[in-house]
Amino acid sequence: MSKKTSAQPALHKVIMVGSGGVGKSALTLQFMYDEFIEDYEPTKADSYRKKVVLDGEEVSIDILDTAGQEDYAAIRDNYFRSGEGFLCVFSITEEESFQATQEFREQILRVKNGENVPFLLVGNKGDLHDKRKISVAEAQARAQQWNVHYVETSAKTRENVDKVFFDLMREIRSRKMDDTKVSNGHGKEKSKIKRLKCCLL
Amino acid sequence: MGPPPSVTGISPKEGPPGTRVTIRGEYLGREPNDVIGLLICGSDCLLSAEWKSSNKIIARSGPGKGRGDILITTKSGGRGTCTVQFRGYHETIGPLKESAVWVEEAPLPGLSWGHRSLSHSTYHLEDPLGLSVEEHEKKFPEDDLHEMFPERSGDLTAENFEPNWFLLEHHHATSFDDLKVGLSYLKRKVEGQKEGQLSFLKDNVSSVMEQMDTLFILKDKFAEDQKKQNDDSITKIENSINDSFNEANKLFEDVLSRREKADATRQALAVMTRYKFLFFLPMNIEHNIKHGDFDLVMSDYARARNLFGKFETRVFTQVLSEVESIIQNLKVSLRSKLEDMPATLEQQKKIIRNLVILGVEGDPGWVAITKTYSYIQEQLHENRKKHIAAENAQLDAETSKHKTDAMADTYRKLSVNLLPDLQNCSPPRVAFIENIVELMLQMFPEFLKLGQAYFNGELQIKPDRNKQTEFKTFAVSVVKLVCSLVRTSILPQNIDKDLQWPHHSSSKQSSINEIISLWLPHCIRLVQTLYSSLIALDISHESLEMVSKLLLDLRIHSMIIQLKKTADQVKSLESKENWCLEFDAEFGAITQLPGEFEKLVTDSVQRIKESALETERKELSVLTNSTAKQELTSLTNKIFLNFVQTLEFLGMISEDHDHAVAVSQLIGSPTPYSENSSTELTWEQRLLAMLSNCRYTRIVLYPKLSALFRHHGFPSIEEPVEQCSAALSTLENRMTETYVELKSDPLVGTVEPSMYLGHFEWDTCTKPNDLRPYAKEILTNITAVYAEVHRLVPKLLFHIISQIVETVAEELSRLMSCVTKFNNYGKIQARIDITGLQRVLHQFMTDNAKCFFDEALDVVSPITNSENSIIEEVLTNFLKKMSLQLSCFTAVRPTKD
Repeated sequence: MSKKTSAQPALHKVIMVGSGGVGKSALTLQFMYDEFIEDYEPTKADSYRKKVVLDGEEVSIDILDTAGQEDYAAIRDNYFRSGEGFLCVFSITEEESFQATQEFREQILRVKNGENVPFLLVGNKGDLHDKRKISVAEAQARAQQWNVHYVETSAKTRENVDKVFFDLMREIRSRKMDDTKVSNGHGKEKSKIKRLKCCLL
Repeated sequence: MGPPPSVTGISPKEGPPGTRVTIRGEYLGREPNDVIGLLICGSDCLLSAEWKSSNKIIARSGPGKGRGDILITTKSGGRGTCTVQFRGYHETIGPLKESAVWVEEAPLPGLSWGHRSLSHSTYHLEDPLGLSVEEHEKKFPEDDLHEMFPERSGDLTAENFEPNWFLLEHHHATSFDDLKVGLSYLKRKVEGQKEGQLSFLKDNVSSVMEQMDTLFILKDKFAEDQKKQNDDSITKIENSINDSFNEANKLFEDVLSRREKADATRQALAVMTRYKFLFFLPMNIEHNIKHGDFDLVMSDYARARNLFGKFETRVFTQVLSEVESIIQNLKVSLRSKLEDMPATLEQQKKIIRNLVILGVEGDPGWVAITKTYSYIQEQLHENRKKHIAAENAQLDAETSKHKTDAMADTYRKLSVNLLPDLQNCSPPRVAFIENIVELMLQMFPEFLKLGQAYFNGELQIKPDRNKQTEFKTFAVSVVKLVCSLVRTSILPQNIDKDLQWPHHSSSKQSSINEIISLWLPHCIRLVQTLYSSLIALDISHESLEMVSKLLLDLRIHSMIIQLKKTADQVKSLESKENWCLEFDAEFGAITQLPGEFEKLVTDSVQRIKESALETERKELSVLTNSTAKQELTSLTNKIFLNFVQTLEFLGMISEDHDHAVAVSQLIGSPTPYSENSSTELTWEQRLLAMLSNCRYTRIVLYPKLSALFRHHGFPSIEEPVEQCSAALSTLENRMTETYVELKSDPLVGTVEPSMYLGHFEWDTCTKPNDLRPYAKEILTNITAVYAEVHRLVPKLLFHIISQIVETVAEELSRLMSCVTKFNNYGKIQARIDITGLQRVLHQFMTDNAKCFFDEALDVVSPITNSENSIIEEVLTNFLKKMSLQLSCFTAVRPTKD
């Protein structure tokens, strides 16, 4: 902790959400290390951080890979609170995972307390065309309803993997800029106090 | 030098100590050996690290608590950096908390002993303020702490330790008073630390060691310098270093040696507890043997052999040999126990099984069988001896007691004593049979079952098939022995000379036989029980046949004895006759004799039926046996003949004094009949009574007995009945004749004297006006006979009277022909007498009698009509006068039976 970012590049905190087994960790690891993990091992809560160049500017991306399993649903609130942007992942081969995105969306909005959260709806496993259950149109419809973007990815082929992370970072950056414009540093203080109060309660 | 390692990913990002953590990043070493350091939250985790690739290392988190860096050091890249952090936390596992991790209760012993110090991190576990730490509920968010105190840390040992952080993190809900108390606690602790130098030393052993290492290096340096400069002060320093070294050694020597000793003891104890089973085994086995718990012994022994048989350790072999010797003793004792009789089947089986488990050589099953066999035989023989002795003793006692008494008396008493009404004082021979039957019932089935178990392989022994025949012979010979024992003890025809009971003098023997005959039915029942139990056992046909033959013989014997006894009793009936008459319309007077006879025979038949004929299934029926049938017939015959003899004896033997002399009332003093009949019957009367008995027996009793025999399923007794009927008929005839003779002789004898009574002569006869007294006397006498016969044997009335009338007629005709001269009146008188008799007795007239009467009339010369009218007149008068007296003769002639 002594080595905490002396150069101070901007840090964007991304949280991966979605049902178990849709490929959140696979996407993360593909993005981070260009590798595809075949074995399935349920995640509890993984943390990754690296420096990337976003539109010519060096930034740090912090990825919190959460557990999809219902067992951990109770601790999600805490994670979501610290997140700045969300990749809501489902598998296009699994109807239930698509339905679950609705619940995740609602939970995020509840925790973040607002509509305008950097959020991307991600349909993973795009390489498995023949097992597709959710049509693009269906997903697009939901994205439009939520007023977010829908991207189809494949962790296996690395298709659109970088795109989703970079798109989300851009959204986070623009959101942060909006915030600084609005509250100009005071907002930060305010939110801190507010959060402390919450803790006390 | 390559780029330094950089950790960019951690999965998972938090967890309790020991969590398996996947660390990802770049330049994490070129090969496994390249990684020389791995710190997670400040604790060294290199030992558990598993190098996968230069991008991935898997390790287990250390005991560190709180958020911390993951720092990897490689040979190629040096000390690395990290962009992610791991948070360690301590889970409190309660009884209700589910945990997937094994919570090690004792702190992991020295993974890093002597390595980079672990001591100060464990030291953290205690709260420095001595206050309880609230872990869960009101946790202060870590991120906020980071923001509030940037560049600072809540870690007590960290250089950048921030007390505020620490207090907020651990005690932000603690009251001010509590904090004050905590502060004073901390002060006290600090004071205590100052004093406890040794404990401080102990707590910081590793740093002390490090210091010592440094001192050694220093010493070397000094030595080098001294060589160069020859300075005394270095020697001094060296000495003091040596001293401190020794001191340090001494400090730990004691502790270490003690620890070594303790370890050795602990190890020994562990071995003891681990092999407790073996060390306790000899004692346990002995204990179990004492309690007869052989199964337990067996299993223990087998277990011990399996577990420790292969060990070469001296202690084990010693204990095992001890066990071996105990087992050896057990084998011997079991073997002797197997030969120890009596034993129940279960016991034997158990012993055999145990012996087999113990691996005894030989064939314990067969040994048990032979032992049982010889034991049964022994028991049988012993029983016999015992009971022979008992019998002898009894006989001796009886003889000595009644030495003065007559022999017969003695035995009567003996037999009275031994009457079978008391079960517990049955005579020795019967008791003997009881005993052997009981013995057989107990032992034999078990013996057979043992054999079966043996040959069916239930005893876990491979049975020797060749011995099956031998076993069968055993079984048969036992049965045979029992049969011959029973036979010799109670049956008169002995086969086996060896087993013969001692012969007593003939009188004693007969008395014994008499007693036994009383007990025969009991014996038969016993043998029958044995037989039926043997049938149930499913033994060889041969044995069954033997017993069945024995049973048959017993039954026949019993039947014969019973019949003989009945015959004797029938014979002795004659002494029991009390001449008490009973009158019967059909047969006249009969005595109790036929009734008694019938009762005897019925009883006897009943007994025979009970004892001899009521057979169980699979038994030979007595009546199908030809000898038995023959015996039955001949003995029945004998019984009947005996009765006939009895009847004859009673009927034909006259009394000493003859009171048949005075028949005539006209001569001398007449002896009235009443005089005798008041006390007892006259001979004639007895004769008649017997006669009617004979008839009753012949006509009523024989068919009745015949039916009785048939009813009880005896073979037909027509033959003896016929024979006896014939005998009886002859007897009857003889009796009738005797009676007629008896009656007619005096009657006829009186005719002549009476006729010439008062110097009567036929030529000096006066005019007749009535029958002569002699004729009247004849009639009266006949009337008397009539009365007697009618009273006692009505059926034979006509027969007897007509016989008598015939003799009278004959005498009359003889007397008439002897008359030399009749005068006129004499003629008439004679005619009147003869015709009178003729008329009165016409009912009882045989052809011979008619002839005689006619002859008598022929002697008297023919008469005139006037004379004839006189005769008629006199006769009419006579009949009129005497009508009452003579009415008996007018009885209708009975139809001959």
